[in-house]
Amino acid sequence: MSCSTSPSDPADGMTRRSFLRTSAVLATGLAAVASSLKPLFEMEDFSSAEQFMQKYYKEMTPEEMGQVIKRIEGEVEKQYGVRPHVRDLRPMDGVEFVYALNLSRCIGCRKCVHACVAENNQSRSPEIQDIRVLKMPQGTFDMDRGDHTYAPESVPEKGFFYMPVQCQQCRNPPCVKVCPVHATWQESDGITVIDYDWCIGCRYCEAACPYWARHFNFTKPSIPADRINPDMAYLGNRPRKQGVMEKCHFCVQRTRAGRYPACLEVCPTGSRKFGNILDPNSEVSQILRTKRVFTQLKEDVGTNPRFYYYFDV
Amino acid sequence: MQNGRKTSLVLGGLAVTFTALAAAFLGDLPGRPVPPPVVPLVDRAFLSTATVRISYADLVKTKEDLSDFECYTCHQKDKPPVLKYDENQKLVLPKAHRDIVMGHGTHGRNNNCYNCHNESNLLLFQPHDGRDLKFADSTQLCGSCHTPILRDWESGVHGRTSGFWNRTLGPIERKDCVNCHDPHSPKFPGRPPAPGPHQLHGQSPTPAAT
Repeated sequence: MSCSTSPSDPADGMTRRSFLRTSAVLATGLAAVASSLKPLFEMEDFSSAEQFMQKYYKEMTPEEMGQVIKRIEGEVEKQYGVRPHVRDLRPMDGVEFVYALNLSRCIGCRKCVHACVAENNQSRSPEIQDIRVLKMPQGTFDMDRGDHTYAPESVPEKGFFYMPVQCQQCRNPPCVKVCPVHATWQESDGITVIDYDWCIGCRYCEAACPYWARHFNFTKPSIPADRINPDMAYLGNRPRKQGVMEKCHFCVQRTRAGRYPACLEVCPTGSRKFGNILDPNSEVSQILRTKRVFTQLKEDVGTNPRFYYYFDV
Repeated sequence: MQNGRKTSLVLGGLAVTFTALAAAFLGDLPGRPVPPPVVPLVDRAFLSTATVRISYADLVKTKEDLSDFECYTCHQKDKPPVLKYDENQKLVLPKAHRDIVMGHGTHGRNNNCYNCHNESNLLLFQPHDGRDLKFADSTQLCGSCHTPILRDWESGVHGRTSGFWNRTLGPIERKDCVNCHDPHSPKFPGRPPAPGPHQLHGQSPTPAAT
C-alpha cells in the first residue's frame, strides 16, 4: 500500500490515514456497544439505593418503617400519578382469621375475582387474579374436572357447582417453608404475607403451593391511574414491582382495620363469610359449629387451611 | 509489508462487522419481544356492591316514591280482593299485578296471596303466628316460616354482610331477605358472569366438564 512507502512515515508507524481508520473503527464499535445496551437504559424501575439498603421487615424500627413508607408513597405517586395512603398494619391480639365459603350458594358470577383485582392494585394487562373460580360437575371434587374459563350467557348452569379457590392461608404453609430468603411468613392472625421488597422472585413458593394461589409479576404491573386503590398496606395491596410474587392476603389493609375483605362485600349471594375464629359469636365460628363443613381443600396434603368450604342446603 | 496488509484487513473487517452490528441494533433487527395482548378493563358494573333488588326499607331510607305500596288508592277498604283461579288451581293475576311472577314454593302450591298478605288490611302482612307486620318488617314475615334461615340470618351466617367484622371498630351492615329474593319468586336469579381469565396464548382447552 502507498502509505507504507510514504517518506514521511514516522517511527511509531502512525500516519494520519491509519489514525483516521482506527478512530473510525473505534467509533463504530463504541456506537454498536452503546446501541446494544439500549434496552438497559429503557428500564424504569431500578431499585433505589434506599430500597437496596432497606432492612428486613421484622428488624425495622418504627422510624425506619416510616421512612420506607414515605419512599413507597413517593414511588407510587411517581409511577401511577396517585398519592396513596400506605400503612403498616400489624396483627391484632386475640384474632385469628378464618374464611368460610358456602358452596350451595355460590353462583360463579366471578364478581369476587374482579373486586379483588380492583381492591388489591393487581396488574390489569397482563392480568393477575388471585381468585380462580372453578366450575365443577356436581357429584365430584376431582379438581382435574374443574373449568375456570367458562363463559355462558348466564350462571349458574344446571348440573354444576362453582368453587372459588384462592390462598387458603394454611396453618402449615409449604410456600413459607421453601422461601430461601424469608420474604414470606405466617403472622399471628393467620395471614401468610409477602414482603415485596425482600422477594427475589425465585418462584419456589409458586411451585410449592398446591392451590395455584401464588402469582408472579412477569412484567411491570399496569394499572390505570383511575383504578388505583389509594388505601394501601405495606404487606398488602401496594403496587408490586416486576419480578416479585403476590397472592391473596385476606385484604390486610381492610381486615386488620376491622373491615370485611373486598371479595366478601361484593358477593351478591352472601356465600362468603369471614371473621375471627377465636370469637365464639363470629359468623365463622357459628358456621364451623352448625354447618356441614365439607373439608379443607386438598386436606390430604396436610396444609391445614384456614379456608373452609361448607354447605347449607 | 505483509504485516501492514494484515492489520488493515483485520481493521477493515472489524469496521464492517461493527457497522453491521450498529445498524442491526439501531434498526432493532433482532426484534423487540412481542408485546402481550392488551386485556380490556372489566366493566365497573361487576365491581358494584349493590344488592340485586331494593327493599321497602331502602325506599323509605332514600325517600323514594312509595306510591306502589299504597294499596288503597285502587283497592277498597273493608272489601277484601277476591282471588280467582283457573281449572288447574293456578292463580289468575289481575291486570294491575301482571308483573308478579308466582314462583314461591314448589308445584305452585303457595298460590294464595293471603298466606302472607292480610286481606282485611292490605298494608299489613299476616304471618301464621298472628302478628301484624308492616312492609318494612318483611324479614320477620319470611322468618315465620323459614325459621332456620332466620336464625342463620340473625347470626350473620345467611345473607350478605358488609362493613366491619370487628364490631368494636364499626358497625356491620345487614340486608333484608327481599334485597336478594323476590318474595313472589324467591329463587336467586341467574346473571351473566364477569369475564374469565384472559390467557396469553388464547383460550386453552380445559377438560370437558361433563
